[in-house]
Amino acid sequence: MAYENLAFLIPLLPALAFVITFFVGKKTPYGGGLIPIFAIAASFLISLLITIGLLQNPDQVISQSYHWFAIFNLGILIDPLAAVMLTMVTFVSLLIHIYSVGYMSHDPAKPRYFAETSLFTASMLSLILSDNILQLFISWELVGLCSYLLIGFWYQKPSAASAAKKAFLTTRIGDVMFLAGIIVLFADLFKLVNGIIPEGVYLLRFDEIFSFIPEIAAMNATILGFEVSHLTIITLLFFGGAVGKSGQFPLHVWLPDAMEGPTTVSALIHAATMVTAGVYLVARTFPMFIAAPQSLIIVAYVGAFTALFAATMGIVMNDLKRVLAYSTISQLGYMMLGLGMGAVIGAEAVGVSIFHLVSHAFFKALLFLCAGSVIHAVGTHDMRELGGVAKVMPITAATMVAASLALAGFGIPGTSIGSTGFFSKDPIIENAYLFGEHAGNWFPYIFAIVAALLTSLYIFRLLFMTFAGKPRTNYGGHESPASMTVPLSILGILALVFGAIVVEPFNKFVNSTFVNNFVNMDIPALAEVGNYELVHHAGQEPLLILWMPVIVAVIGLLIAFVIYYQKAIDMSRFVSKDNSVYKLLYNRYYQNEIFTQLFAVKFVYEGLAMAGYHIDRFIDGIVNVISYLIIEAGDSFRKVQTGVIQHYSVAVITGVSLLVILIKLVMEVF
Amino acid sequence: MIPLNWYLALSAIIFSIGLYGFISQKNGIRILMCVELMLNAANINLVAFSSYNDDMSGQVFALFSIALAACEAAIGFAIMMSVYRMRDSINLDELNLLRW
Repeated sequence: MAYENLAFLIPLLPALAFVITFFVGKKTPYGGGLIPIFAIAASFLISLLITIGLLQNPDQVISQSYHWFAIFNLGILIDPLAAVMLTMVTFVSLLIHIYSVGYMSHDPAKPRYFAETSLFTASMLSLILSDNILQLFISWELVGLCSYLLIGFWYQKPSAASAAKKAFLTTRIGDVMFLAGIIVLFADLFKLVNGIIPEGVYLLRFDEIFSFIPEIAAMNATILGFEVSHLTIITLLFFGGAVGKSGQFPLHVWLPDAMEGPTTVSALIHAATMVTAGVYLVARTFPMFIAAPQSLIIVAYVGAFTALFAATMGIVMNDLKRVLAYSTISQLGYMMLGLGMGAVIGAEAVGVSIFHLVSHAFFKALLFLCAGSVIHAVGTHDMRELGGVAKVMPITAATMVAASLALAGFGIPGTSIGSTGFFSKDPIIENAYLFGEHAGNWFPYIFAIVAALLTSLYIFRLLFMTFAGKPRTNYGGHESPASMTVPLSILGILALVFGAIVVEPFNKFVNSTFVNNFVNMDIPALAEVGNYELVHHAGQEPLLILWMPVIVAVIGLLIAFVIYYQKAIDMSRFVSKDNSVYKLLYNRYYQNEIFTQLFAVKFVYEGLAMAGYHIDRFIDGIVNVISYLIIEAGDSFRKVQTGVIQHYSVAVITGVSLLVILIKLVMEVF
Repeated sequence: MIPLNWYLALSAIIFSIGLYGFISQKNGIRILMCVELMLNAANINLVAFSSYNDDMSGQVFALFSIALAACEAAIGFAIMMSVYRMRDSINLDELNLLRW
């Protein structure tokens, strides 16, 4: 099929659009917006065609590999996992670009904006269809760079500049771990092939890596007295990269601050590009994770904890966008939890988690674009100043309700009625239940279910505070132009019906990722390598468990309704500086302060200053001693050079005489 | 005929006297004179070997050496003259401007 040969165009077209827009963007229509839109639309079409082709024949993945240099290659791998990601990213990015034409219409730096967003999209696409881990890492870094550029898009604002720096530095911690993981992995692979790499074999390609999984798992290293498999080390380092990129605890601190960029950028970061990269990395290397003892469990714990941790902060934020940012962190936690549940249900976990990723992309992009629409019209994102926006902006409000229903996960279990979020989040929670039942460990489940309650609470709090009631300030405002409301409506419909329609085929499709002509992984066998016991997901949980996520979502809605709509409970008692719980949450567990004071100031700044001072003194000392010795030695040795010609002649004559005597003696001996 | 050893002994004695003077004296002119002594001790050697080996090249060499010694003495004494004019002394120990 011909369009398979066009696969390389998927990242290339947005990259070209970046070049064109960057240099001649001012002269093109809509401040350079049109070229990226067409480029990404073309990428979307190609991705869609490839996905449809793959749907018909999931075994025949597209795999093209080109020699790059030495033992590295550049390649394209489009298997079901990559195909759905490509389609989702191009689609969401396309809608965001169309929306941006309206949203950024007043900004003078439009060409730079569109150039950077299309580069962002291009690097994310290149990340998704990498067929080797090195190319993935390069794209990964490009994504990080673009996020830095876009968060700091309004670099004149000091807060934006510092938020960009924070995002870059925080994700850098993860990136370094990822790179370390790649290095360890490569060293192990190199050892396993005894340093002999045949022509045309690229060790860092995923199929090569996966084929060595049992051997790497068998290699052990001793760390702090514990026997640790090399595979565990590598996967945990990879996961460290994902923690940074996907805003998992404790490296999530950059994500709420990333709101300093334009709202569309936030939508792009939170929905399509950037944060999903970490989840994608874990999904892509899933066979490694499942064969590594403990790694998946750690992924699950970190995910579950992040889901709850971020949700608690989401309920007290007053900034529209910040609530959504914590919501994203929380939902990413769910995705990681979903992947971690591979410990109990095997490869199906990838399908479940990626489905949540895609559905989250739809409703989170929608939430951000709605928020952007409100901010665009009203000019503030403090919820306390809003209220009653629904009367002014009916379309925005309607789509926002759809997105909120999807985020909270409303639906009826056992039927195909429900929002997208219901079909994507419930399986994760059910799997957590299964994990609890099977492994006797209920923490992931409890965390997930409490987080679901809080999710519903904070999103409806946002909805009631912003859209319902009477305006609290005189903000004016108007409904947004069509270029903004059309993407909103499309995403709104998707948020409502996407899940119900595609959930079954989607999971089946993505679950076939690891069995095809590219890789052929025996996941249960790998799970035995990693000491995981898999059970078959029978879908026969008690009725209460099936209903539980919906019940807590309704409870959350009711609490929000009572407090923020009817105002039956006076919240001023709780929402005050005197309430320590509120203070703790509002100050985000003081994590920023801890990071700043403890790590940045005490550890890095003062520590480095101290260390630098001592190193300076140490090195200076060495240098000074050497120079002192040389000066002293010169001072004493130059006394030998008396300048008196007789002394020299004595030395010469003594030397010559000794030489003569020596030669004489030597001659006599031989 | 006087044996060769006698010449060599004479040469060694003269050379040693010159050497002793060169090392022990402080007066520039004496030092130059001692250098002349050593050069001429060498010349005696050259001539002696030349005559005993029936080879004229040694004597030619001695002639060169004498010419060279004359040049050296001329330059040396000229330096001593100018040093004396500047410092009112030709004691070499006092000429230590470039010393540490």
